[in-house]
Amino acid sequence: MSTSVIFDQATRVYPNSTTPAVDSLDLEIEAGEFLVLVGPSGCGKSTSLRMLAGLEDVDSGRIRIGEREVTHLRPKDRDIAMVFQNYALYPHMSVAENMGFALKIAGVGKSDIDARVREAARILDLEPFLDRRPKALSGGQRQRVAMGRAIVRQPQVFCMDEPLSNLDAKLRVSTRTQIASLQRRLGITTVYVTHDQVEAMTMGDRVAVLKDGVLQQVDTPLNLFDKPANVFVAGFIGSPSMNIGTFQVAGGHATIGAAQVPLPRVTSDALRGAEVTLGFRPEALEVVTEGTPGAFAVEALVAEELGSDAYLYSSLVAVGTERLNADHIVARVAPRGVPAKGETMWLRIAEEKLHAFDPGSGVVLPTA
Amino acid sequence: MSAILPSGALDPADTAGATASDRRRPRRRGERSLLASIVLHATLLLATFIALFPVVWVALSSLKPANVIRSREIELFNSPSLDNYRQVLFETSFPTWFLNSVIVAAFTMVIGIAMSATAGYALSRFNFPGKRGLMWTFLVTQMFPVAILIVPIYLIMANLGLIDTKASLVIAYCTVAVPFCAWMLRGYFDTIPRELDEAAALDGLGPFGTFWRVILPLARPGLAVTAFYTFITAWGEVAYAIAFMQTDSHLTLGAGLQQFVPQFNQRWELLTPAAVMIMVPAAVVFFFAQKHLVAGLTAGGTKG
Amino acid sequence: MTTLDTPSQRSPEPPAEPPRGPGRLRRSFDRHWYAWAMVLPTVIVLGVLVLFPLAQGIYQSFTDLTEANQQDVICTKTLGGGEECVDNPKQAKFVGLDNYVDVLTGERGDFWLWFTNTIVWTTACVFFHYTIGLGLAVMLNRRFRGRSLYRVLLIVPWAVPGFVSAFAWKFMFNKDAGLINAFLGIFGVEPIAWNDERWTSLFTAIVTNIWMGVPFMMVALLGGLQSIPQDLYEAAEMDGASAWQRFRNVTLPGLRPVSSTVILLGTIWTFNMFPVIFFVTEGQPAGETEILVTGAFRAAFEGLRNYSLAATYGVLILSILLVYAAIYRRVLRAQGDVF
Repeated sequence: MSTSVIFDQATRVYPNSTTPAVDSLDLEIEAGEFLVLVGPSGCGKSTSLRMLAGLEDVDSGRIRIGEREVTHLRPKDRDIAMVFQNYALYPHMSVAENMGFALKIAGVGKSDIDARVREAARILDLEPFLDRRPKALSGGQRQRVAMGRAIVRQPQVFCMDEPLSNLDAKLRVSTRTQIASLQRRLGITTVYVTHDQVEAMTMGDRVAVLKDGVLQQVDTPLNLFDKPANVFVAGFIGSPSMNIGTFQVAGGHATIGAAQVPLPRVTSDALRGAEVTLGFRPEALEVVTEGTPGAFAVEALVAEELGSDAYLYSSLVAVGTERLNADHIVARVAPRGVPAKGETMWLRIAEEKLHAFDPGSGVVLPTA
Repeated sequence: MSAILPSGALDPADTAGATASDRRRPRRRGERSLLASIVLHATLLLATFIALFPVVWVALSSLKPANVIRSREIELFNSPSLDNYRQVLFETSFPTWFLNSVIVAAFTMVIGIAMSATAGYALSRFNFPGKRGLMWTFLVTQMFPVAILIVPIYLIMANLGLIDTKASLVIAYCTVAVPFCAWMLRGYFDTIPRELDEAAALDGLGPFGTFWRVILPLARPGLAVTAFYTFITAWGEVAYAIAFMQTDSHLTLGAGLQQFVPQFNQRWELLTPAAVMIMVPAAVVFFFAQKHLVAGLTAGGTKG
Repeated sequence: MTTLDTPSQRSPEPPAEPPRGPGRLRRSFDRHWYAWAMVLPTVIVLGVLVLFPLAQGIYQSFTDLTEANQQDVICTKTLGGGEECVDNPKQAKFVGLDNYVDVLTGERGDFWLWFTNTIVWTTACVFFHYTIGLGLAVMLNRRFRGRSLYRVLLIVPWAVPGFVSAFAWKFMFNKDAGLINAFLGIFGVEPIAWNDERWTSLFTAIVTNIWMGVPFMMVALLGGLQSIPQDLYEAAEMDGASAWQRFRNVTLPGLRPVSSTVILLGTIWTFNMFPVIFFVTEGQPAGETEILVTGAFRAAFEGLRNYSLAATYGVLILSILLVYAAIYRRVLRAQGDVF
């Protein structure tokens, strides 16, 4: 019973503002897909989700669920279940009553409600808690009840609005995998909102990145990582973030510090001015010896030693007019024998891992 | 999973559930239909009218001459003048009663707060033996009907020769004011974070010092509201005032106004301007306090 | 040669056991002395001004104390200019439960009449206070133009001191000068003597009290409504609940803590509300609209003052209220609310 979801130029403008909260969103979600909406605060991800659920008006454009147009239907007519960020459990009902409430409203028979509630409770390990009130439950248990409430309804679409953000870090990690495997098992189309890009990357079949109400890119997690469509996506996806900076270009080479880094031909051809924005992930940097072609000097600041990896934060020994987006460069180095503070290192970017963007628009430039 | 909900419940091909008017111009979320708006405003207007009208009517009546007030005609104005006010202010003991009420209420307010502030703080911060009993006592004493204490206190006052003095009223009012203030102040102190107490302790202040120099200044709004409410309650008290005060010049307003309307020959033309002159300052004081009032009352009440 | 016992050579004494009783008390005192010190003024006030008179009042209800026999001694002036005092043979004496029996059987006073009036009075007032207050609160909980103005105007009755409201409504219900009768006269209705009949008289008092009490309920319930999280309503919408179902399943349960408090407070305040009955109906006709508190007051201070009878009423009223509060609390606890 899974269905597709389509946002067709959907727009939402709040009454007292001029800029849209969601601007002409075009998004096609396949039946059974787990799609994650991700982006910084205020990017419109929650608003888009609520437009789908029917909790926000759609000012222009349309929303379809399967073949049906639901743009102006009331929430209860859309056959959607939602998991709220703060769970929104009815405080005066027991867990079983919370989960069965929607079915009761729909007129489903009592024995049927019981059967379905029990089944959902079994899946979510909630059986011992069926008679308890929400305030007698822990945060993780409440979260599962909120999920159970959605599952019981067997809707066509699940909407989840940052359901893990109120859990502590360890619980978040374990619940993440549970939700992902549950969704795979049930096969119900799911739209999931989060601000945490790690959650997005690990849970989604595809991830849609939004910024300021505009869809930046929608793709599989690996494609977002390897082939970001613009500077924003490049800097947003990946942790630690990609190193991004704008550098002078002359003669097919970009000046980074004291180094002349060769640019691929297609990239220089696509440039319009004398500058290019380059991005390179911490894993793309190699520690080399002084004098290696394309190597630039950095001074070590802080090292993060995680045991399995180590990340070195360093400042560029700058010569020219380069502008870095952050005030440091992050490189992944060998986990043992990390350089000390103040030491000078030489780094080089692996060619195939270089990203280039237009300095004005931020759009990605071809590198191959 | 057992699929019990019939899957054909929603027709896929059309905009099921949309009504004709929705298709024309979809109703925005939270928007009211015109009819609902009219009903809403009409009801609220009616309620506001009922709320304001008695006050307005009394004020208008106070401007009418004595014989007109008694007439059966409904008219808003009829030779309006301030004559009645003049009469009440200069030819009756009203100003004295007013002053008496103010003095009694003010003393009650000051003593009530002074006696109960530290207790409110202690109840908020400390867990000590007898705390529960004390809080329960505060709650119960506020439930006391006038009748249970008025006679014994009257006899005590009589024996002390304090009947017919303002002091007797202040003392009597404190029986309610002190527990009430303690209860409400506890609620306000509860809203001040304990971390401030801890910081003060680290800075070397003992409990009393912390109370005086750190917490009390922060609780000023709470103190103000409690003070206002104590004032208003003492101001409006009637039973003790009638029982304890006997000579005309010692009466407070509640007892005094009664004299304007004995069973026969009711002098409405004196009552209405007096009422107006009482209502105006009371309303001013009240509106200062009301914003914070209910929160304090219900917070104290639900933390039983 | 005697050797001095050095301490190390003496067998170690068993450590002294701290004395049980006084030790613990002492520790308790050390820990809590400042709390007790802070609470001391209120405790003194309570003890002297409340508990002591309360005890006295209870005791007095077991005597036949009146104005007439309250003197312990009768002093007469003697010829020599001095005074001779003998014990008053008629002084108030202990009569046990006689007062209670008399009152409850109706032998003296009108306890049951007053009790019925009080029940009718309290139930009617609190019922309308709550329903009207809730209705207004629900209406004011939405956003619309003029909302804050309405809110301010609707609490005006609360700002008016109680006895002033009582006199204002007494004025309006007055048979000859009152607005209500003049208004009814437009429709050809004869002027009603409101205070001539028990139920119309009570009606005037109830209307007055409702007018006075609705604003408090409205404000309290409005605060309660605003504390219900918005996403509960959204969840109910997603679950398919209609507006009425949302009201029953989200609003009313969410209001329960505030509702319980204000209904309890409202009941007790109305039960004890003195000025309204005292001034609006004055117990007319002929004492038929007295409620318990006004009846007790009159017994104490009008006519031949019967202090012991008034004390008896006081004890009975207080007992009723305490029982009510205890039952109320138990009912709430059974429903799962912690009050």
